[in-house]
Amino acid sequence: MRSLVATRTAAAVAATLMLAACGGAPTASPSSGDSGSGREDSDLAVAAAETYAKFNGMSGQERTDELVACAEEEGQLNVYTSNTDMEDLIDVFSDEYDIEVNNYRAGSESVLQRLLQEDEAGYYGADVFETNALELGVADQEGLLHPYESELRDSVLEQGRQSEGWTATRFNAFVVGWNTDNVKPGEEPTSLEQLAGPEWKGRISMEVGDVDWFTALHDYYVDEQGMSEDEYTDLMTRLASNSQVVKGHTVQGELLSAGQFDVGVSLYSHTVDKAAAEGAPVAWRPASGEPVQPIISRPNGIGLVKTATNPCAAMLFVDFELTGGQDVFKEAFRIGSVEGTDNPLSAFETFAVPEEKLLEDPDTWNKAYEDLLANGQAID
Amino acid sequence: MTLTSPPVRAEERTEPTGSTGASPSRRKLPLSPKFFIVAGVAAAIGYLALVPLGYLLWGTFFDAEGFDLGGFERAYGSGRMGELWGNSLAFAGGSAFLSLTVGTTLAYLNVRTAVPFKALFFAASIVPLIVPGILYTVSWIFLASPQIGLLNNFLEPVFGTAPFNIFSIWGMIWVEGLHSSPIVFLLMVAAFRSMDPSLEESALMSGATRLQTLRRVTLPLVRPALLSSVLVILITSLESFEVPALLGLQNGIYVFTSRIYFVFRSYPRDLQAAGALAVSLLAIAVIGVIIARLLAGRGTKTYQTVTGKGFRPRPLDLGKWRPVVGAGILIYFFATVVGPLLVLIYAALLPYYQAPSAEAFASFTLDNFRQVFEMDSAGRALVNSLVLGISAAVIVMALMSIAAWISVRSTIPGRGIVEQLSFVPLVIPGIVLGVSISFVYLRSPIPIYGTLLILLIAYCTKYMPYGMRYATTSMTQISSELEESAQVSGASWWTTFRRVLLPLLSPGIMAGFVYILVVSFRELSSSLLLYSPGNEVLSILIWEQFENGSFNVLAAIGVLMVVALVIMVTIAYKLGAKVGLRED
Repeated sequence: MRSLVATRTAAAVAATLMLAACGGAPTASPSSGDSGSGREDSDLAVAAAETYAKFNGMSGQERTDELVACAEEEGQLNVYTSNTDMEDLIDVFSDEYDIEVNNYRAGSESVLQRLLQEDEAGYYGADVFETNALELGVADQEGLLHPYESELRDSVLEQGRQSEGWTATRFNAFVVGWNTDNVKPGEEPTSLEQLAGPEWKGRISMEVGDVDWFTALHDYYVDEQGMSEDEYTDLMTRLASNSQVVKGHTVQGELLSAGQFDVGVSLYSHTVDKAAAEGAPVAWRPASGEPVQPIISRPNGIGLVKTATNPCAAMLFVDFELTGGQDVFKEAFRIGSVEGTDNPLSAFETFAVPEEKLLEDPDTWNKAYEDLLANGQAID
Repeated sequence: MTLTSPPVRAEERTEPTGSTGASPSRRKLPLSPKFFIVAGVAAAIGYLALVPLGYLLWGTFFDAEGFDLGGFERAYGSGRMGELWGNSLAFAGGSAFLSLTVGTTLAYLNVRTAVPFKALFFAASIVPLIVPGILYTVSWIFLASPQIGLLNNFLEPVFGTAPFNIFSIWGMIWVEGLHSSPIVFLLMVAAFRSMDPSLEESALMSGATRLQTLRRVTLPLVRPALLSSVLVILITSLESFEVPALLGLQNGIYVFTSRIYFVFRSYPRDLQAAGALAVSLLAIAVIGVIIARLLAGRGTKTYQTVTGKGFRPRPLDLGKWRPVVGAGILIYFFATVVGPLLVLIYAALLPYYQAPSAEAFASFTLDNFRQVFEMDSAGRALVNSLVLGISAAVIVMALMSIAAWISVRSTIPGRGIVEQLSFVPLVIPGIVLGVSISFVYLRSPIPIYGTLLILLIAYCTKYMPYGMRYATTSMTQISSELEESAQVSGASWWTTFRRVLLPLLSPGIMAGFVYILVVSFRELSSSLLLYSPGNEVLSILIWEQFENGSFNVLAAIGVLMVVALVIMVTIAYKLGAKVGLRED
């Protein structure tokens, strides 16, 4: 009995070794197609690539009609997502089309893990992958995504189509928000520099995982505004020394409306807007004047999976997210990615999170933010 | 003190089973049911434990280039390591001490004394366990934050500004200790229930005071249970990040897991560094289990209190202390159950959190509950969670009852390994458990991936350590003479196990069952990775609300969980009582 167990374990370990060795090799470019798992040659991938190419080359009503017909014939769609509004999206989508949608949703890291694991094992469960920029970037780098082309993609804000492998559908915007009971009109913060001052001691809040926000601000202040590294570190350290550090944006939003602190420096705009709509005393835009700028934006998007079982439905769903889906996002207080629609990102100065930098060297930025919080908090 | 009748050497009793392969006994092929059961259970435990352990060790010590210890350097190579470990140990040690004191005291009072308000114990023992850690912790922020804490507001006129500060190491210990005290309570109730009170009565009659009796007789007898509790709680609080993240970070109290949190954020996941922590905890766990075995083994008979001699637990009269103890229980009940639960219910009824006021009460709404019921998968998720929780609890306790027999009673070579292996999953990070299981079943020819079964396997693995602690603790208390009598009377091993041991083990099995049922409802990390569309469980909904939803809807889910699980557990206890008493 025991030897059987041992053999199985050894086999599993050996398999891990081989996969680790393969996976460890850098995949040069998204379209290199030299993945070790046989993904590109699978019948599924070949068929899907053909379908994708066909519709990428078409346009207008003809494309739409044919795509809908093909997708409804497939009749199914498997979505892997970290988007918590997905159920609402699917409700609208299924009302419109005769397609059954299976929705796997989890934290962005878990969804990515699942996609990678399944791909390694040659189990192809996903048709579309819908999550944050960083995880989409990884999937693209690993060669899992197929480019999506259409007139709709061309209507997406430019910062939302930086990568060929995926297309932004909405944005997370980091804003400075406050409790309107504790910060009276006229006293609203106007800049981060101001919030680093002694009068805000203990009244502001930072979030423990917002490394992306921190990195974006670094590039904004240092590269754009000509601040020195030391000046930036000093600014952020003073900010941290004024801060209560929390974990999780939902908890941060709740504590802000409860008055645990007066200002959050890296809140999601949709968290604030949603709470305000419920009547909570929170805001990120002052009654008069402008919000604290820059607003840090980070895209969330969707990519077509190369090994999709239902490639037509996958493409139709991307179409949908860029049309009818935009309204669903707006109802959830999200910022859509399609240009023109009274988008706050067009109205104010925004700065995008430098995705490549974070992808290339996450450790440096994680460490810098971690140290900064700890050092700042150590100051009395 | 001799506790039992004349000792019989264990070896005489147990026929060599030769099950684990080491002894090539050819004289008698041991193909009895006993052989199959024992070998099957040992194999199942080995399999469940070794899959994630193999994955973990591999990931920790090897990278694409070969053997590598870089993970340890990244995990431990920080100038602030001393401070981090100091905080971690203070937090874990403090929590263990608090939960041990509280859990043991309550269990003793509940089982052994004629204490008032016994019905409250039930709620006090279960509710903190049901409420997800994040909700329990945030409730405490609303109660005892210096800025907005309700308790601070109430008590300010008496004690001056903000007498409580939940954002301190003491606050962390308080919340974690109370949240984990049910583990101890359940273990100790089982232990005290199987204790012959005549031992204490003899001590009292021989002139010992109550305190002396407690210190010299009662507590030494339940040492295995105490040790089990300490071990489990030390390790779980060393691993925990919920409470330190929400209460410690606020004022810059960083623990070791906050380092791991940053290490784990990068892509690709730094499994090596995360594994380095798990391996350290594994070392602590292995040593802990060895100590526990040594202690229990020093005299196999030492803790055997369930003997052939019948006993009827007679509750100790508390005399003049009865009102004092009663008041203490009420205070405890309010602190751990009523306070946090009221805050949760209050938050669940509000559109957003605000301090209690006429205005706040006027805005009460059932909207959050309505939102929960309107979620597409809520009903399905509840059913799935129930099915999984009950199945996992039954399977784990069945396996672990036999494993406890192997570990405590048998003379099978290598029996200690079974206990060690069953403890392994306690130190495996949830995400590693999930990844290792999906790794195996994505490649398995049997279609388990994508079904509820894969979650069941994950839950069984994850809760095996707890099940084993509950089962062994009870097993050490049962005297071997009962088994011997059954066998002398001609009962087979299986009949003896089923008709004699299992009923006697029932307090421990029941406690383990309740524990697993309850905590499986909020298992998050491996559930998220392993479930499939159509197989949602409740924790997926919790995650959604936590990730980007409303804390108030989350509170509503918490309240519903408390209601559902209290009903379930009550039913389980009622059924369990029937099984335990059945005499046929």
